[in-house]
Amino acid sequence: MKEKEKAVSRRDFLKVTGGTAAGIAVTGMAWRPGEAEAAAMPKKWNETFDVVVVGSGFAGLAAAYEAKKAGASVVVLEKMRTPGGNSIINGGVVSAAGSPLEARDGIKDSPELLLKDMLAAGLNLNHLELARLVAYESNNTVQWTINELGVKYKDSLSQEGGHSVPRMYSTYNQSGSAIVTQQLEKLKEIGLIPRTQVLLKRLLRDTDGRVKGVEVREKYVFPRENSGRTKFIKAKKAVVLATGGFGNDVPFRTIQDPRLTADLESTNQPGATGEALREAFRIGCTPVQLSWIQLGPWGSPDEKGMGLNPFFAQLCCAMYGLWVDTQTGKRFVNELADRKIRADAIIRVGNKCIAFTDANGFAIGQKMLGDIMAKLMERGVVKRYDSLAAMAEAYDCPIAPLRETIANFNKAVAAGKDEEWGRYLQKNQRALDTAPYYASRLMPKVHHTMGGVNINVEAQALNVEDDKPIPGLYCAGEVTGGVHGAVRLGSCAVLDCLTFGRIAGRNAVREKAWG
Amino acid sequence: MKTDKQTDRQTALRIFFLMALVLVFAATSGGSLLAAPKKLATAKAGDCAACHGADKVLPDGHAPTAAMNGEACLGCHQKGSPLALYTKMPLSHFHQLKGITCQACHTDLNAPQELSTEQCLACHGSFETVAARTANVKPQNPHSSPHGNTYTACDLCHHQHAKSENFCAQCHNFKFVVP
Repeated sequence: MKEKEKAVSRRDFLKVTGGTAAGIAVTGMAWRPGEAEAAAMPKKWNETFDVVVVGSGFAGLAAAYEAKKAGASVVVLEKMRTPGGNSIINGGVVSAAGSPLEARDGIKDSPELLLKDMLAAGLNLNHLELARLVAYESNNTVQWTINELGVKYKDSLSQEGGHSVPRMYSTYNQSGSAIVTQQLEKLKEIGLIPRTQVLLKRLLRDTDGRVKGVEVREKYVFPRENSGRTKFIKAKKAVVLATGGFGNDVPFRTIQDPRLTADLESTNQPGATGEALREAFRIGCTPVQLSWIQLGPWGSPDEKGMGLNPFFAQLCCAMYGLWVDTQTGKRFVNELADRKIRADAIIRVGNKCIAFTDANGFAIGQKMLGDIMAKLMERGVVKRYDSLAAMAEAYDCPIAPLRETIANFNKAVAAGKDEEWGRYLQKNQRALDTAPYYASRLMPKVHHTMGGVNINVEAQALNVEDDKPIPGLYCAGEVTGGVHGAVRLGSCAVLDCLTFGRIAGRNAVREKAWG
Repeated sequence: MKTDKQTDRQTALRIFFLMALVLVFAATSGGSLLAAPKKLATAKAGDCAACHGADKVLPDGHAPTAAMNGEACLGCHQKGSPLALYTKMPLSHFHQLKGITCQACHTDLNAPQELSTEQCLACHGSFETVAARTANVKPQNPHSSPHGNTYTACDLCHHQHAKSENFCAQCHNFKFVVP
């Protein structure tokens, strides 16, 4: 059935354009050999909306909200059985540079400093205008989630690797679901519920260059490619592509980075695959930095997927404890370096590293993370040791160099400066010397795909042929590239997605309807 | 009088339709060539043969069930015992045995609609009530997800007419037994 439809649409296309060569001349797709890539418009659209949003994570929902609020008819399409994509399983931290909480805590910060951190981690591969926009909108964006969406955050700031200062807000439940559920709630209030199990098959770009709608499969059952029924949805004003990254797409990710084979686990939901991104390229979007794929250094081999270890390894240990190589008993990286530096370091020293902290660091974690710590202990991801010697023995770590490592760190704490690795020391950092000790094993997991399609500051997708906006197509979130350059800083993805999602939604409504 | 050619054509057509029927049948019964149950709304809950025909759906020597209701089943299959029926039958059967008929959920049996979570909760209580029932399940209460209520939509795990599944297991090591 599907094959037949495809054949029909190709024939129709040839009829319209008078042959393949003419099709290429009109659409400018000569960069791809074979058939012309513009799809014929269907004879009949099954449904029509002003704005068709594909994807229901932070970016898609933000776009839908802005578009719907501006009075457009909007549909949100999600291929999985639940809305929210990776966003709903995200760790719930968002950076805000120049926030009221920073002012309260006497932390000196600015959008410029956040931008500087983003560029440093991004190896200056960042598309500057995009990164600047995200950094300068960071506090506005977080305050918008509070004031407009009603998102609840904890009362204290935390710090991920690569950030000069603690500037992260944490949602009350330490999950992106606290934001997504509010987005869903607000959308429901204005009459919009995302449709699940609808897979994007084709972005329908007409011979005049405009994206005019989508071909989807309704009642699709992931990952059965040909499940569901074909349907054509017309987008009178625009399509917003917010389909996320491809961290869990082993074939596509190994094309970009052949080292990231199926042997590596991913923190992503199973639907974080690249078919929509491939489709965007097929219709003429421009690829940006696809091989920059980030591993989260704080994963654990003792739990599946993202799990909960990132909270312990980051907050209790990277901020207040140490990461050591159990083969040497020594630190091997600045625990607050960006994710790539840390993941690379773990792999380089042989993948036998642990994160640990003492009773004080653990107490801070308990205060900040509540029952997450109890769950980590219960699941055996984090283990408790009555003495340093017991911990060293459990991981087959030489005790003498471990003691020396800790003594050196404690000296650094006393001096207020980490000469050895240059780590930012927390204002309330204490010497590591109080039993019991808590530790977890570290295992880097595929986490975020920095690359994607090229967009401008208006979230318009840019044509591979001439870098001009593709009429009728906006892109936002992890499906785009450029904001983060080589390495994304933790807590900046939410910003990226919400900022550009909102821009895409607002701009999509302003498009002139084509028919 | 029919010519040989016409007869041949008719035979060929008959064979074609027969094969088409077999194929449709195979497709609708999930790829298996076993007969799909009839989903007969008028059947008594314990009357297996009414829907399953001659298919063997009970173990050898099982007491006749045609006249039984859910309570009668519990005579042997007590909750918590090794004989408990938990996970052994599609959930629709439990509903039927407790007197929740097809119509109770699907209303219009000529055009049965998919159910929403709200419809399930109308009988089973709110998300909070359901979560309270499984508060002690380890390592995580399956009905209280940190990912919000869209992750506790009933039919993500509990299917009525197919085998239920552990939806959480796609990302977690949770070994839930799902009725």
